[in-house]
Amino acid sequence: MKGLFFLSIFLIGLNPVCAQEIDNDLLQIKKRMDSIKSYDAQIKLDVDISFINMPSKYGKVLYKQGETTKVTSEDFIMLPKRGLDLTLNEIFKYPFITVNRGEANQKGVLCKVINLIPTSSKSDFSIATIFMDTKAKRIVKSEISTKMEGVFTTYLDYKNYADILPMKIEVEFAVNSVKIPLRFLGKETEVDRKALKQEGSKTGKIFLTLSEIKIVK
Amino acid sequence: MISLIRSEIYKISKQSKTLYALAAILIIEGFVIMSAYYQGAGIIDLLLDNLKDSFEFRGNLLNGNLIIYLILNSLWFHIPLILMIIISGFLTSEYKDKTLETVMLQPVSKLYFILSKYIVSIVFTLLIVLILAVTTFFISYWIFGYGDLVVYLDGLNFFKSDDAFYRLIYAFLSGSITMVFFSVVSLTLAVILKDATKTWIVSAIFLICSNLLLKIDFRNDVINELFFSKLTDSWQYFFYYEIPYSTIYFKNFMLLGYSILVMVIGVLIFKRRDIQG
Repeated sequence: MKGLFFLSIFLIGLNPVCAQEIDNDLLQIKKRMDSIKSYDAQIKLDVDISFINMPSKYGKVLYKQGETTKVTSEDFIMLPKRGLDLTLNEIFKYPFITVNRGEANQKGVLCKVINLIPTSSKSDFSIATIFMDTKAKRIVKSEISTKMEGVFTTYLDYKNYADILPMKIEVEFAVNSVKIPLRFLGKETEVDRKALKQEGSKTGKIFLTLSEIKIVK
Repeated sequence: MISLIRSEIYKISKQSKTLYALAAILIIEGFVIMSAYYQGAGIIDLLLDNLKDSFEFRGNLLNGNLIIYLILNSLWFHIPLILMIIISGFLTSEYKDKTLETVMLQPVSKLYFILSKYIVSIVFTLLIVLILAVTTFFISYWIFGYGDLVVYLDGLNFFKSDDAFYRLIYAFLSGSITMVFFSVVSLTLAVILKDATKTWIVSAIFLICSNLLLKIDFRNDVINELFFSKLTDSWQYFFYYEIPYSTIYFKNFMLLGYSILVMVIGVLIFKRRDIQG
């Protein structure tokens, strides 16, 4: 009887973080994003990784509903594997449930925080935390733990309150260092990949700045 | 002096070893391009392997600029070795064929004679580097096209195609000073040793030791900065993200000083020595 009492208290305590199918605010944001039929914008990419020196790169980002976001450039560019899914299509590709984690302040904005837990083994992420500006109906931060590629933290900055797409995107991730001499072709380039992998990982950042954004709804 | 230089140029143009030098350079280029064609994608793949988890790549890094950079790296060993063998032969062949004695029977100053050898050797060296650069740029861009250059030097440095083009040109110019140094050394060794085989062996040992000493830390700032072997890598500094121009100028200035010193030693030894094969 005593055990049943404590179990009841425990279940009542769990109520605020009770799992639900999909958070309503997230669905509202998704609905808003789905109103975009296509968009294109000029994009500037800056890499901030301790062992990489790369000048600012420029390109064009193009999205059409039902297709993946494409980035084109005349230069060699490095794109983060996460962070460009502004319409949330990748997240919504496979089913998941959401868990309300309360509220948190993100760059002066009081955000609703939810966890996304996939219910399909096909999903490429294991858990995601989304910080939503429910008043402006947009996402300001996300932390996505992928199954194969590590954790990607994305910060989204918007120019105006009504903007649906961000002007600046900052993607943070863990990256392994490289130490390969590229002097000659031949034996000197034969290195132990395992040893390289075992070296400590570092935090890398990539900054994406969008301009001349043209949205078709 | 001018007529002596003309005479030396005429001799070089008629010698088969000049053609061998050009052929050797083209063969080296051919090998590097072939290796890049078959292995290049694998090397780029290896270089960016650790970044693949976090990034997707757009664009081609196996392009003309990377091939030029790889051929440029033959300035570490292959090109100076060929130059040292060919240039030392300019004098040792004269000892061997006894043509030196014939020349000295004419009213020719020993100083002007050996100076003309040094001047022509320097011109020959610059010409070889120029031919290497021109053919490398032409063939590499023709086969592999343009694109960003990636170099691993204290990290991964990416350069835009236009920037890479200028860096590669400057690297060839700076590298030509290093090649001149090795050429002058080989001619001085020829003055000292006279015999072709001995000169080739000593030249090769000098080059190997110079490359090995470059990597050794002498734990003394003066030696680390002023020792000749530490000055032969100035051309690589163009591939640091921020080019350290003052270091490049200093190294090249010092190496030119060493070249003049080695040349003066060679001239003095040649002047004081009896001409006998």
